[in-house]
Amino acid sequence: MTEPVLACSDLRYAYLERFAALDGVSLSVAPGETVALLGANGCGKSTLLKVLDGLIFPDSGEFHAFGEQVLEDKLEDEQFNKGFRGRVGFVFQNSDAQVFSPTVREEIAFGCLQLGLDRATTADRVDDVVSMLDIGELVDRAPYQLSGGQKKRVAIASVLVMNPEVLLFDEPTAALDPRTQFWLIELLHQLRTAGKTIVLASHDLDTLPELADRCLVFSEEHRVVADAPTGELLADHDLLLRVNLVHERSQLLRR
Amino acid sequence: MHIPDGYLSPQTSAVFTVSMLPLWWQSARQVRKVVKSRYVPLLALGAAFSFVIMMFNVPIPDGTTAHAVGGALIAILLGPWAAGIAVSIALLIQALFFGDGGVLAFPVNAFNMAVLLPFVAYGVYRLLAGNAALTSPRRVWSAAVGAYAGLNAAALATAIEFGVQPDLFHKADGTPLYSPFHLSQSIPAMMLPHLLIAGLVEAAVTAGVLTYLQRANVPVLRINAPNVALTPAEVARRPVSPVRVGMVTLGILALISPLGLLAPGGAFGEDAPEDLDLARYHLSAVPTGLQKYTDFWGNALLPGYGDGSPWQYVVSAIIGMAAIAVVAGALVWLLRRVRGGEAGAADIDGGSGVDTPPVKEGSGSPA
Amino acid sequence: MTTSTAQSQPAPAWLLQREVALCPCGCIGKRRKGSYVAKTLSGASGVLRQAMSSDDIAAQPGLLQRLDPRIKLVSLLGLLVTVALLRSLPLLAGAYVVTLVLAAASKLSVTFFIKRVWLFIPIFTGIVVLPATLSIITPGHVVLPLWTWHGQPQGFTEQGLHSAGLIITRVATSISLVVLLTLTTPWVRLLAALRSIGVPRMFVLIIGMAYRYLFLLLDTVDDMYTARKARTLGGGGDSAAGRRFVAASAGTLFGKAHQLSEEVHQAMLARGYTGDARSLQVFRLRRIDVVWTICAAAGAVALLLADRGLGG
Ligand SMILES: Nc1ncnc2c1ncn2[C@@H]1O[C@H](COP(=O)(O)OP(=O)(O)OP(=O)(O)O)[C@@H](O)[C@H]1O
Ligand SMILES: [Mg+2]
Repeated sequence: MTEPVLACSDLRYAYLERFAALDGVSLSVAPGETVALLGANGCGKSTLLKVLDGLIFPDSGEFHAFGEQVLEDKLEDEQFNKGFRGRVGFVFQNSDAQVFSPTVREEIAFGCLQLGLDRATTADRVDDVVSMLDIGELVDRAPYQLSGGQKKRVAIASVLVMNPEVLLFDEPTAALDPRTQFWLIELLHQLRTAGKTIVLASHDLDTLPELADRCLVFSEEHRVVADAPTGELLADHDLLLRVNLVHERSQLLRR
Repeated sequence: MHIPDGYLSPQTSAVFTVSMLPLWWQSARQVRKVVKSRYVPLLALGAAFSFVIMMFNVPIPDGTTAHAVGGALIAILLGPWAAGIAVSIALLIQALFFGDGGVLAFPVNAFNMAVLLPFVAYGVYRLLAGNAALTSPRRVWSAAVGAYAGLNAAALATAIEFGVQPDLFHKADGTPLYSPFHLSQSIPAMMLPHLLIAGLVEAAVTAGVLTYLQRANVPVLRINAPNVALTPAEVARRPVSPVRVGMVTLGILALISPLGLLAPGGAFGEDAPEDLDLARYHLSAVPTGLQKYTDFWGNALLPGYGDGSPWQYVVSAIIGMAAIAVVAGALVWLLRRVRGGEAGAADIDGGSGVDTPPVKEGSGSPA
Repeated sequence: MTTSTAQSQPAPAWLLQREVALCPCGCIGKRRKGSYVAKTLSGASGVLRQAMSSDDIAAQPGLLQRLDPRIKLVSLLGLLVTVALLRSLPLLAGAYVVTLVLAAASKLSVTFFIKRVWLFIPIFTGIVVLPATLSIITPGHVVLPLWTWHGQPQGFTEQGLHSAGLIITRVATSISLVVLLTLTTPWVRLLAALRSIGVPRMFVLIIGMAYRYLFLLLDTVDDMYTARKARTLGGGGDSAAGRRFVAASAGTLFGKAHQLSEEVHQAMLARGYTGDARSLQVFRLRRIDVVWTICAAAGAVALLLADRGLGG
């Protein structure tokens, strides 16, 4: 097996030193793989994704990306920072937090400009992404004037424009209408076939088989209780019930 | 408290612009050093917060409004320099987009609300809070008192800037070119609502948020106080210093006294507050207290203080404050000598930081 | 940490029953005027909507919209100083009329423009200046006696009225100029202009973010207020309760907003931000900018010269 792109071992993290969010989590993602994180609300999916994006740093445990350990001090280093940020992209769960620029165009251009791409190339890339995501009529508006779903599209555009190798999606289909959800699943498919490594948090078990090769299931105690290929995992109804991912009356169990 | 364009002479604005430029420059430097890029959103948040707080105009009896600024809170959480930036930005947005406060008057407004207010508030807070634990109630009431003092200092400065205009800038026939009110009118008009209402609102907002943070988000409290002990248990060994309390009382006195000196003078009845028909100006509530100060200063230090022109009042106010400062200094020196143990206690203070290292996200043990 | 599982507990019986309203008299009670909190909030929403619509105005093909925002900003500052230096009432009034002409040339609705400007003037200037027209504050030749005091007629004085007139026209003209700038310049361009006239990058970045937070905070306050209103009987509430509410909400507001600000920063970091934000914008000066600069400078000088002759 090739060397994993992302590898963490025994991560522990608590917010404000009091509220545990990760309690001994290990994970390894191979290049080109798509991994889904599953678990009930508050089990720590978003927290893990933030660790994987080098935004928060575990209280204990190690996180390696592209074979190098990611540490707060190391990210202060210009070279390492640019390398890491350019190769890993993160679509936040809360798109309100993710769109902060005065206009949509500036928002989408932000990442490329930060990483040192020149204005002309950036502008071209922005135009490409804008037409790909069909948000042409939004580019001159202010992000805070957009609807939830439109914001999500802008957020996705602002990450895709940087063309990262690894994409982290936190509940990408939430807040989208059914048509846009399908469009997004389609997009994820394309990205997968293009060889991107994808880690996504999701609650949507129905679309999972098309989306992910492998699933990681969190318990409400913030630990990983299962790590298996998607098909295998979705068949394990007992497990899904135990971690409160499904309800006795859920559609999934009737099949 | 926002001065619009047209009330101040361009000369006044120019003076304040020139003096604000180095202050802004210094605050940018300080903030870059202390606050770091990580707190840029927090600063922006402070600015937005201050903006929203300033929108909550509290109605006051005479038909105008007074408002809190939120600068004291930002000063306590992120330091007075950071507060300077945040409030300046709130004021700039208000001036440019909502016509609230002038563009030329912006440096003046910034001086009052973004420099004077946070620094006075923070100074009083630090004096009163001493080395109390970050989660102690003493921090909260110190902050409240600081906020109250800071807001009133800003209001007083505004009143003075208004009040000197008619004396400095008028046509040959005496028609004022800019603000027509003299010090004797502008100071009571500004100070009453701020002493009675807006100051309390500023204090309440500051105390409210601080209490909330003490319960909900201690790391934010530690941004600007990384070496301060967290719980009362950690600082239990030290009593409240009477020196500090004395100094603070004097400080507050010094802040209030110019008000007492100025309010009942001038057009309101020259030197003899007795023949004033204050009720006519809806001022009947305060002057009883102010009268005492007038009497005290009038009799004790500067009998009759001159011919009643506003400048004389200012001069006497400054002399009065200087006198207080001298007395306070002497008192502090005396108490230091008597107690003798202060220096040793301060060392323990510094040491208490050692067992609580500054927190950064991601340190500490899992819960 | 314990996490409650939503499905394990049955819903309380009262929740499943139909209820009229908790207070059956709710809809008969008299309507109360909103408290000042309500007024401030509706004012805030109004201001918010206005700020939002100004981007539409800024997109129209008017005179000022065509100018480079840097030129606009600098000439605005120059004109503000000119207006502040004028001492003659007719000249100030003339300058005010010019701002109206500029508004019309910039495809602004003149009535909207006048309303927008005069909205702010009565609040501060009107109330503050009014007493100064009376002889008790500005002594002088009484033109309209209102009462007598110690045998002297008291009332509006010529000097008082003149000085009030000076202030009000000066304030109106100044605000008009600022409103002209902000209505005809998209927010982003204005920020970039601030940057190019030497405002430090960090300030500009914070201004941009603060503006964004503002909308969010106002929305949050609005939501919190609506939630509270929905929970209290009779709506409104008195001023004292309103004040308590403000103090209590401040903490929660700050907490929510702080969490958001952390996330925003993370989002910026995630895309390579290291403390120095770059922008896509580039400026180019055109002929109209040069023409405008010359006109504005000539106008300012003419006004000042005329003022030396007329004022005093
Ligand atoms: N800023 C914060 N401060 C304190 N606690 C937090 C904070 N953010 C998250 N937590 C806590 O950490 C735990 C994990 O949160 P996280 O956001 O990772 O959950 P999640 O799996 O993404 O949930 P969801 O499906 O609802 O998005 C939760 O118990 C949450 O209460
Ligand atoms: Mg989440």
